[in-house]
Amino acid sequence: MQTAVASSFMEKHQKTIKYLKKYWTLYLMLLLPIAYFIIFKYIPMTYIQIAFKKYSIVQSPWQMPWADNNGMEYFIKAFSNRDFIYALRNTLWLNVLDLVVGFPAPIILALLLNELTFKRFKRFTQTVVYMPHFLSWIIISGMALKLLAPGTGLVNIVIERLGFASVPFLNDPTHWRWTYVFLGIWKSVGWNTNMLRAFRANIDPQLYEAAAMDGAGRWRSMWHITLPGIRSTIITLLILSLGHILGSEFDRPYSLTNALVISASNVISTFIYTNGIRGLQFSLTTAVGLFQSVICVIFLFAANALAKKFGERGIW
Amino acid sequence: MKRRFVLTSLLLVLVLTVCLSGLAASKAEIVNGRFVKTRSITVEIFDRGNPGGSKPEDNFYTDFIKKGMLRDHNVKVTFKPVPRWTEVEVLNNLLAAGDAPDVCVTYSYPTIQTYANMGGVLDMAPYLDGNKELLAGLWDLLGDSNIYWNRDPEKGTIWAIEALLFQNKRINTFVREDWLKKLGLKEPKTLAEFENMLRAFRDNAQLLLGKDADKMVPYSTSFDVGWRNDHLLISFVPESITEKERYVYGFDDRRLLFPGYKNGVKKLNEWYNEGLIWKNFALYAAGDKTEDNMIKAGYVGAFMHNWDYPYRDGQEGIHANLQKLVGPDAAYIAVECFQNNAGIYRKYLSAPIDRKVFFPSTNKEPLASVLYLNWISKLENRKFLQIGEKGVTHEVLADGTIQTKAVTGAKIMNSPNNIDYTITINGLDLGDTDLNVKSVALGYGGVDKRFIEKAYKITSNEARYGKNYNVGQIYAEEGMGAVLPEKRNNFLIQSVVAKPADFNSVFDRGLQDYLNTGGQAIIDERRVKYEQFYE
Repeated sequence: MQTAVASSFMEKHQKTIKYLKKYWTLYLMLLLPIAYFIIFKYIPMTYIQIAFKKYSIVQSPWQMPWADNNGMEYFIKAFSNRDFIYALRNTLWLNVLDLVVGFPAPIILALLLNELTFKRFKRFTQTVVYMPHFLSWIIISGMALKLLAPGTGLVNIVIERLGFASVPFLNDPTHWRWTYVFLGIWKSVGWNTNMLRAFRANIDPQLYEAAAMDGAGRWRSMWHITLPGIRSTIITLLILSLGHILGSEFDRPYSLTNALVISASNVISTFIYTNGIRGLQFSLTTAVGLFQSVICVIFLFAANALAKKFGERGIW
Repeated sequence: MKRRFVLTSLLLVLVLTVCLSGLAASKAEIVNGRFVKTRSITVEIFDRGNPGGSKPEDNFYTDFIKKGMLRDHNVKVTFKPVPRWTEVEVLNNLLAAGDAPDVCVTYSYPTIQTYANMGGVLDMAPYLDGNKELLAGLWDLLGDSNIYWNRDPEKGTIWAIEALLFQNKRINTFVREDWLKKLGLKEPKTLAEFENMLRAFRDNAQLLLGKDADKMVPYSTSFDVGWRNDHLLISFVPESITEKERYVYGFDDRRLLFPGYKNGVKKLNEWYNEGLIWKNFALYAAGDKTEDNMIKAGYVGAFMHNWDYPYRDGQEGIHANLQKLVGPDAAYIAVECFQNNAGIYRKYLSAPIDRKVFFPSTNKEPLASVLYLNWISKLENRKFLQIGEKGVTHEVLADGTIQTKAVTGAKIMNSPNNIDYTITINGLDLGDTDLNVKSVALGYGGVDKRFIEKAYKITSNEARYGKNYNVGQIYAEEGMGAVLPEKRNNFLIQSVVAKPADFNSVFDRGLQDYLNTGGQAIIDERRVKYEQFYE
């Protein structure tokens, strides 16, 4: 009887068992990353409830009492805090600038690199533009001070010697925004060409040859072959960047800021740092963080849906 | 009857044994001040990152403490370094992570209060009161006044004890003595003379600095506008300020809310726009050494800072570097120039309290920890920490005066008189008032004592000291310990560098924002509580 059951089970799931027998090592390899996500990403999520509770350092989040106004006290507090509203505005401002200016930069650079003929020069250029990616923001901010400070910074000394007035790169909010965006591009543009160039390699070289036969110049083949070839990659990257529209790095604004530009540089992450970690208002800043994540997820889904509507693959 | 007697006596014996064994257990824990079983505690130590310094958690002086604590109390001590200039932030992280040392020290009482409200801080009262006979050293030094300073008037809890500010010194105004001579100027005695001196520095850059003339900074300051311009700002506070006002507005230790303060900031704004102040001061954050390096290189004419700032750090300090890089005449001297509306060189000094020492609730050895505080408070122990080894870090002169010497290498003191190790006292105390004054003046290796004596005198000249108004917790201060000072610094900096026409609006907007963020709530609560307990 038992053997009959077993054999009928075997028959029923023969396909699955065969499949698992063949690929079990791959599934074993998945275990580790899954464990990583569970331990470091999912379990910590239980602490999201801090946003709705009165935080205490000595209690587990399950024991903490609910916050006032049905647990929404800290969200109300955040949205009536002017600093938070400014931080929200600044985060959007800087990220939109980053997107508009910073997003096309690696695409253009990738296309340019693609057109370089001398192999050695190409390699050299690639290495040079990659380099800044490996510097930390603390180092870059130190360099920025040495280069851009009014009066003592190298760039400003040159500008002054040329007879112009020194430019307040770091100490005027409007200028600071551009300095922030420019330094961001400088740091990441080389690295971001990577993925695009990898996909460029997938384009069939015959297409270029055929185009050349038909008399297409470099510009034409770039426009009609390379760009459409990497279009899906560009869209994917765009969706991912839109997912970060309200996200904010911490080390970049924090290391580049100073008291004179605080009206432009106070973003959500630095707000969380000042009020939450230094000001010990953990519930308030968890609420802010949660809000930020929810908006990011909404943007991600919206961008993905939009991409699919226009006939692209999307990211899932 | 017999049975009853037997029962009663049995019960009596039982009760007696229980009592005796109970006593014996608590007695047996400590014999002659020593734990029977070795205990371990961790202690916070500031890390200053001073040039040429030793490891703050492991050096000649920590060895002295570790050996002494093991010998006298059978307690093993481990030090945990915390960066001096970001101590509050780092301590917050440690406390939040449940990783804080057993004995914590900070300048920020609001931080302690916030954690205490969350149950993160141990009430020291039972351990202090319950072991008074073991803690004679602590009581001798701090007295009831500093130990009970923060005792809640209603509940009796003590979240932190206050270290003794032994020499109540704060800030001085320093100017380059050699520049004054070079320009034939007298030491400034009034605000007008001080301003004219700065202008003279600016206009004679070529003469004073030669080829480095473009590096001239007549007056330098930092992001911490309130601290670094204190003498000037405070001179605009009217003499008539009352004790109540001092208490109600006194939660900002830069005196931001004292009446008249704005006029002082306006003066700084004028100076900035006249090109008298270091142009880029706003760009450099806490702990940055750029300004110190400018001062050491001899580009700076005047500044305000901690009362002995240019004379600190021996061979690595400002004075020694200035003499090395500029010449033997180059030196900063303390001056007194800022009178208030009554013509008095008024200073507002705090009460004799300094750092706050507390135990986080993760402390499993409160008894060993209070014994630690007692040990470092004993005169012979703190004296050794403050002056070090005879013949190495100090000499004893014929009249008994102690002359400390700056050393480099293994026995270097990372902080003046090892203040970071003597967490219950700030200031040299040799146990004899006369000796103290003479020794402090000699206490700066390589610096002529006339500089120190002058700085020592001026910094507390005509001072008004703060008093303890213990009204229990001010609830509005919770969570504001870091936010408000940051707001204050930001808007003060913006006010200083604003265009003259914009000054009023920048300052007023900043102050309004400060008050809206929580400043006003604190003022209101303090006023109510002051009236409740003291009027």
